[in-house]
Amino acid sequence: MNLTIDAKSPLPVYQQVIQAIKLEVLSGGLRDGDLLPSIRDLAKLLKLNPNTVAKAYYALEAEGFSENRSGSGSRVRVPAGRQDSLRKAMLESEFKNFLEKAVSLGFALEDIKQLVERIKK
Amino acid sequence: MNQPIVEVRDLSLSFSRKKVIDGLSVSFPKGEWAVIAGRNGVGKSTLLRALSGVLLPDAGTIVLAEEALAKKIGFISDALSLFEDWTVERAMAFHCRVFDIADFDDRLLKRLGLSQKDRIKNLSAGERAILHLSLVLSQKPSLLLVDEVMHMLDPYIRELFIETLIEHLAASQATVLTVNHTFSEIEKIPERVLVMDGGRFIIDETTEALRVKMKKIVSRDPLPETLPCFFRKTDGIYKEYYIYPFREELLADHALDFQDIALAEIIKAFIGGGYEQKRMA
Repeated sequence: MNLTIDAKSPLPVYQQVIQAIKLEVLSGGLRDGDLLPSIRDLAKLLKLNPNTVAKAYYALEAEGFSENRSGSGSRVRVPAGRQDSLRKAMLESEFKNFLEKAVSLGFALEDIKQLVERIKK
Repeated sequence: MNQPIVEVRDLSLSFSRKKVIDGLSVSFPKGEWAVIAGRNGVGKSTLLRALSGVLLPDAGTIVLAEEALAKKIGFISDALSLFEDWTVERAMAFHCRVFDIADFDDRLLKRLGLSQKDRIKNLSAGERAILHLSLVLSQKPSLLLVDEVMHMLDPYIRELFIETLIEHLAASQATVLTVNHTFSEIEKIPERVLVMDGGRFIIDETTEALRVKMKKIVSRDPLPETLPCFFRKTDGIYKEYYIYPFREELLADHALDFQDIALAEIIKAFIGGGYEQKRMA
């Protein structure tokens, strides 16, 4: 498991935790049924406030990414049928960041198409 | 917000003729981790001492919730009050008797290889801090005051110290107030940041809000006067400007690179701004 939290990001830390875990689920680092670290363990591992981790875990549960059976901790759920759309959404958001950077460097859409063609070869 | 664990109203405190705390009001809810920052000598430690009951204020009130009364405030400071000639064992026994502690958790001491027979005067700064932390946490405090001790710990002990605080918070919903100068290792933890100056808090914000509201610009050219700049470093060719409060509209009005910065740097800028204002006063 490799979760990274960016201390400089203005995105609230609990949302970064949510994203990092989703990414781990979608990339196969966490599989359906895997035990998530306890709130306390993840807080210690990432040097976060346990309240922050708890908030992220509640949100993940509400979104169907985890299931909390009392006493046995939270387990990962890979939402059936939603995996593809989530992977697409994640790619889209990464690609949007890339495009913003390209535009700020003064490139046009045509330049990016050419770049894609060149890399394909 | 839930019920405060401690509520301070119009607190003032002086040393001889110097007013260190001047009409300060603040309250801290249960389960919150807040950082108190500010220039050296600005009264942060004095405030913690007043909260712990070691110092009596000249004016104002400090109201504690019932669960924080008497033995449920833990205070860890760099002036660690331990009897030098005592052994670890004796300090533990004394602490347990004074605070009615039945089960003393000595796992941290064991992890550092401390022996019960070691004399306190022979312990390193890190070992003392961990001993003090073990003593204080054995009280199961609902209000934990940590005056800058982390800077003198080696990296291993510092991590152990931080992890132990996290664990305590996870287990107990305690309120933690820390006074810090070294931040980078804990900068993702606090929910709230207070900056002290002139005997009061000049900044009291959630960490989330601060990461949005403070940006940095590095530029060769001077910035337009209209930008709200809290602190600047202008001696080099490239000048650093700390913009506070930042608003989204500024992005549209200025073709400048507003950089995101981490809490450690945000706090440095607030403290630097404090010195700047002092120079100008």
